[in-house]
Amino acid sequence: MTSQNRRAAAVPAVVLAGALALSACTGGAAPEGTTLEEGEPYTLTVWTNITTGPGKEWFDDLAAEFESSHEGITVEAQHIQNEELDGKLQTALNSGDAPDVFMQRGGGKMKDMAEAGQLLDLTGTAVDSPELREKLGDAAYEALTVDGKLLAAPQLIQPGGIWYSKDLFEEAGIAGTPETTDDLYDAIGKLQDAGITPIALGGKDAWPAAHWYYFFALRECTAETLAATNESLDFSDPCYEKAAQDVADLAGAEPFNEGFLTTSAQQGASSSAGLLANHEAAMELMGAWEPGVVMSLTPDQKPLADLGWFPFPQVDGGAGDPNAVMGGQGGNSCSAGAPKDLCGEFLALMSSEEYQEKFYDAFGTIPLHADAQDVVKNEYDEQMLDSLAEASSVSDFLDTNYGQQVGTTLNQSVVELLTGDTDPAGLVKAISDAAARS
Amino acid sequence: MSTSEHARTAVPGPLEAGDDGAAAASSPVRAPRRRQAPWRRWLEILLLAGPGVAVFVTFVIVPVVMAGYYGFFKWSGYGPPVEFVGLRNYELILTDPKFLDALWHNGFVLVMSLVLQGPVAIAIALLLNRRMRGRSLIRVLVFVPYVLSEVIVAIGFSLMLHTAGAVNDVLDRAGLGALRQDWLADPDLAIWSLMLILVWKYIGFAVILMLAGLQGVPDELREAAAIDGASYWKTQWYITLPLLGPTIRIWAFLSIIGSLQVFDLVFVIWGQYVADTAGTSTMATYMVANGRISGAYGYGSAVAVVIFLVSLVVALVYQRYVLRRDTEGALTGGAA
Repeated sequence: MTSQNRRAAAVPAVVLAGALALSACTGGAAPEGTTLEEGEPYTLTVWTNITTGPGKEWFDDLAAEFESSHEGITVEAQHIQNEELDGKLQTALNSGDAPDVFMQRGGGKMKDMAEAGQLLDLTGTAVDSPELREKLGDAAYEALTVDGKLLAAPQLIQPGGIWYSKDLFEEAGIAGTPETTDDLYDAIGKLQDAGITPIALGGKDAWPAAHWYYFFALRECTAETLAATNESLDFSDPCYEKAAQDVADLAGAEPFNEGFLTTSAQQGASSSAGLLANHEAAMELMGAWEPGVVMSLTPDQKPLADLGWFPFPQVDGGAGDPNAVMGGQGGNSCSAGAPKDLCGEFLALMSSEEYQEKFYDAFGTIPLHADAQDVVKNEYDEQMLDSLAEASSVSDFLDTNYGQQVGTTLNQSVVELLTGDTDPAGLVKAISDAAARS
Repeated sequence: MSTSEHARTAVPGPLEAGDDGAAAASSPVRAPRRRQAPWRRWLEILLLAGPGVAVFVTFVIVPVVMAGYYGFFKWSGYGPPVEFVGLRNYELILTDPKFLDALWHNGFVLVMSLVLQGPVAIAIALLLNRRMRGRSLIRVLVFVPYVLSEVIVAIGFSLMLHTAGAVNDVLDRAGLGALRQDWLADPDLAIWSLMLILVWKYIGFAVILMLAGLQGVPDELREAAAIDGASYWKTQWYITLPLLGPTIRIWAFLSIIGSLQVFDLVFVIWGQYVADTAGTSTMATYMVANGRISGAYGYGSAVAVVIFLVSLVVALVYQRYVLRRDTEGALTGGAA
């Protein structure tokens, strides 16, 4: 080896050593955050995914009120495009230069952050007060608690269900909304006879297809089984294979739009939400954000007048509760180095009655706060609140619960189930294998 | 400082003809002086090459090394990687049928790109090398797809080839409804749809390269062949093609490397998930789906290393056995 070669080889070694040193100095045990002296000035940095008009106004109002009630405190917000937020946040958290407060999607990702010691335990702060817990509901808090630590403050819930066009249902002669899967098949048949595509599905994004599996699992499995699987990632309970069979049976009835595999969920008039918006399909299984997406895709960009909602029908013989609700639960976390009490107060204001009401006006998503729920205007919002009030259990979407690795495999396997590339037993095996790997 | 600047300004030739005292520093003196101060040469190299090398090391070398390091860990991407798993990631990759599928698709794209694009590109280049009406317009039109962003091409084609898209609609209206197909999702067709888009997009680049190569073929040779009574086709076969050899070999090299890295088109048209079932996944889409999207950064890094090694081996083999003649020629030419 010449001296030149040896010098070249030395570079990677130095870099490697640097990487090791870098990995040694971050991380650590459960962080307790920082404490501010009375009257000490501080700039609270907040990252959100709120990038459009009314939402930004909502946040500016919130920040202004917080600043006026806390002397010396400045709120500095960065509103980041939703799709970019996770990546930027990950880099910021790892570099130790994280924002104090940031949007939290919960589930497996939140657990990963907590394991890396990047999240503040909010237990005992203002947002953890008994009054607020009562108003926002214990279920919402539980979803964001791991090992007795409150890792994020609940802000919203977006229950999933079937969105449908009332006009198309009437045209096909369907009375009422399906309450069981038999009713659903009946409706599909009537729509097909009337020459209407029964169900819009954005299979290209996989998760819309996977939602069908999640909801069948919600009706086939007991709440206890679902909760236990979130921890154990053990899919041996027969209900998981039954749910896969339900999806396969549904696909057998060919209810989906032509080319659903390469149809995206939300982009443009040819997407699944666009099909619903333009009366080219009668139903879509989707979360509570659907009216907003559909509105942006109608020809005049106005809300779809005949849009209706009903909870996912009960499966004949399913062990799950017909009142169980599944939906996206979101909140906000504080990073490990943030001032703990201040953070808790900011999040408490964010979830207060006043800002929950304003949140509905700005975003159109149903409020979590019990006293704020009288502001809802739409029939479907009231229906969702009713189903939440009656809910025996509230689960997050399964891919969120299982973490990215198993979640991605599950979504992928449901697509393969729809194309016939795998069977129900194969789906269960694929997610079990992924669980063993993760 | 002033001496070093003086020395540097004294180096260029034109000063010799200058009318000031610097002309006294004649060439026999200058050469030894440069040898006496090697640090000055190093300073120059450092100043000129430094920024480039720094950027290259920071954004290419370091990430490659880091990927190699992360590849030995199971890592969710939050906090430092702590769970060392040795070669397990590599074992999983090489036994995952989905990765082997992706590798096979890359191989298919590689071979078909060469087979489909090469002859067509040479033919178009020969055509466009002749004097004809509208030649510059056609040259531009052939090159336009190459200039378009991959994402725009992908969105355009995904809309046209979708089951409810323009292509099937045209077939219906032309009374050829029996020919309508699911161009993107049918596993028997999807990879050919991908090939078609790739050829359409990259043929322009090949044509431009071939055209440039054709400019290096001396007219005298062709004239001599014509005088000897060779037909047009014989001239192309025995004179143009062999002289176009170095260009073809370099184009093939670029095409091979590009084929191993196909990502954007597949990712935009088939999304994050459907590429697998449609049979168009590539090593790069596998890496993103099973690395970043799955939150398995250690595994994704290991896939990146595998792609790097595959590309490296292919590149080295190609250079050793195919490009050898060209590079050796260049080296001897440089030394002479």
